[in-house]
Amino acid sequence: MKELIKMQGLEKMYVNGDIEVHALKDINLVVNAGEFISIMGPSGSGKSTLMNILGCLDRPSQGRYFLEDIDISEQSDNELSFIRNQKIGFVFQSFNLIPRTNALKNVELPMVYGKIPTAQRNARALALLENVGLADRYMHMPNELSGGQKQRVAIARALANNPPIILADEPTGNLDSKSSVEIMQIFTKLNREKGTTVIIVTHEPDIAEFTDRIISFKDGIVVEDRLTEVGKAPKKEAY
Amino acid sequence: MLLLENIKLAISAIKANKMRSFLTMLGIIIGISSVIAISSIGASAQGAVSKEFESFGGGYMYLSVNWQQTEEVTQDMLFSVDDIDALKARFPEALRYTAPYAYAKSDVKVGRTEAELSIMGVAADYNKFSTNIDILHGRMINKRDVEGARDNVVIPREAADKLFGKEDVIGETIAATIMGNPVDLTVVGVYQIPASIFTQLDTSSSYSCYMPYSAISRSDELFSYIEIFADDNKSIEEQGNAFASYMQRYKDVPENTYTYESAEQQLSQINTVLGYLSLAIGAIAAISLLVGGIGIMNIMLVSVTERTREIGIRKSLGARTNDILTQFLIEAMILAVIGGALGTAIGIGIAAIGATLVGVDIVLNISSILIAVVFSAAVGLFFGLFPARKAAKMDPIEALRYE
Repeated sequence: MKELIKMQGLEKMYVNGDIEVHALKDINLVVNAGEFISIMGPSGSGKSTLMNILGCLDRPSQGRYFLEDIDISEQSDNELSFIRNQKIGFVFQSFNLIPRTNALKNVELPMVYGKIPTAQRNARALALLENVGLADRYMHMPNELSGGQKQRVAIARALANNPPIILADEPTGNLDSKSSVEIMQIFTKLNREKGTTVIIVTHEPDIAEFTDRIISFKDGIVVEDRLTEVGKAPKKEAY
Repeated sequence: MLLLENIKLAISAIKANKMRSFLTMLGIIIGISSVIAISSIGASAQGAVSKEFESFGGGYMYLSVNWQQTEEVTQDMLFSVDDIDALKARFPEALRYTAPYAYAKSDVKVGRTEAELSIMGVAADYNKFSTNIDILHGRMINKRDVEGARDNVVIPREAADKLFGKEDVIGETIAATIMGNPVDLTVVGVYQIPASIFTQLDTSSSYSCYMPYSAISRSDELFSYIEIFADDNKSIEEQGNAFASYMQRYKDVPENTYTYESAEQQLSQINTVLGYLSLAIGAIAAISLLVGGIGIMNIMLVSVTERTREIGIRKSLGARTNDILTQFLIEAMILAVIGGALGTAIGIGIAAIGATLVGVDIVLNISSILIAVVFSAAVGLFFGLFPARKAAKMDPIEALRYE
């Protein structure tokens, strides 16, 4: 199976005033293409820091991070922007849709930065919204949508440039349980049907149980890395 | 990112805060509209003044004693009628019209109506050279009037109306006092002045009339000015200098005793003054543009802070530093350019109203309009740069975390 993400001896230190925070300590992690993973841990465990590095928003202080064999530690800011645009789809806890911009335009945005021609990105954005069941809401502004709908727009946006990885930071954190389940079903479908690698940060165990593999963090180190009941089932090898 | 996309974005951002955007533009609007209005009014005034000077008739000038250069002006420096005849004899072609400058003022009374006449002494056919006189009734002062020093007068239509209550007053007499002597003036002509900026600005209550210069001066009178219409196809400067130096030789007086003053010279002096005036007011207007630019910078800084999270989102979705920079720069420039366009429209409006009030043709200074619009874009660019850089340099993680 193809290695999508490889972290070797990865460290991250912050200087916060006078205090040096050692957020990540010697992380060695391999994620294969097509995995469905949740990252768990209490606040301050380093999971957000890991998420930022995984998402190429930040660089490690030490060690290496390979994403599809690209050494992220050595990329310039503009190259990182390009990688984020093409390789990673972000889904956030607070949805992070651009205000005063309708659903369609929000979904188009990564394609705008990816320099996709207008007609093409319009058609693709509509198709993506249709896939998440919001074809009739494409003209709506974010403040006219419910939490679950916003998160579905955000997922459609994350998929705009067809990235190999979806990074979701507490995607169900602001949602009721029904919407949470719906969102997790979308992620599951995405992973099972398209083989997209999905990595979810969560502190809710029942959300984590939707995924195949749970990596638990505490104090900047991996304390547990196990397969869930779903992950142990053999149907994983379907594609 | 595509330019068009950025422009759309900027317009929607401006629309989202209409009041704030308008107030921000106001500085630019005021700056640009005053630049346009002032430069257009200035250009209109210059145009009107040029037209006015053309209306004196081509080749108009005064030959006179150079009061500034001559230490002591003596009697023998002044011009006698004989001197003028000698000048005419020397330059028969160039001197199309020559007359000594004679002037008189008189209170007159017809019945119970009183008026004040400003009487200018002229030689024959003055109206053939000066385009300021339209004869309505009768005729202009002619050769026989001048030679006979007749007390004939040509009066403006307004004076005829006032004194006689009608326009055609040929043959009427007006009792006047010329050089201390009571004289009965016979009206031989009624004229009107073509409408112009000066007639509207002229608030004096006296009426400009014309008489033979010989009738309002003694035959042995000495004059300090000679009024001339020279050949308007030749250089005024060369002719003026030739007249002055001939008179100096003829009258055997030192060099630079005489000088000339032409309509051309006066026009260029007035234009110089108007130019400085426009420049000075333009500089003040430019300062208001500067203030407008600072307003834009201020609001863009606020906007960048408000939209920190949006910047974070955009960066996470793959916006490069330059994409963010361009986005905010274009927003600042569009603010400034919309302000500039509104300011241009308002400025033209003000100039049009001003020109209508003064009664001159509006002359739009196209180059100043172009400069104003380009300058406002430059103001947007310059003052937008700092906020846009601030936005572009944001750390995406910090920006995403911003509440």
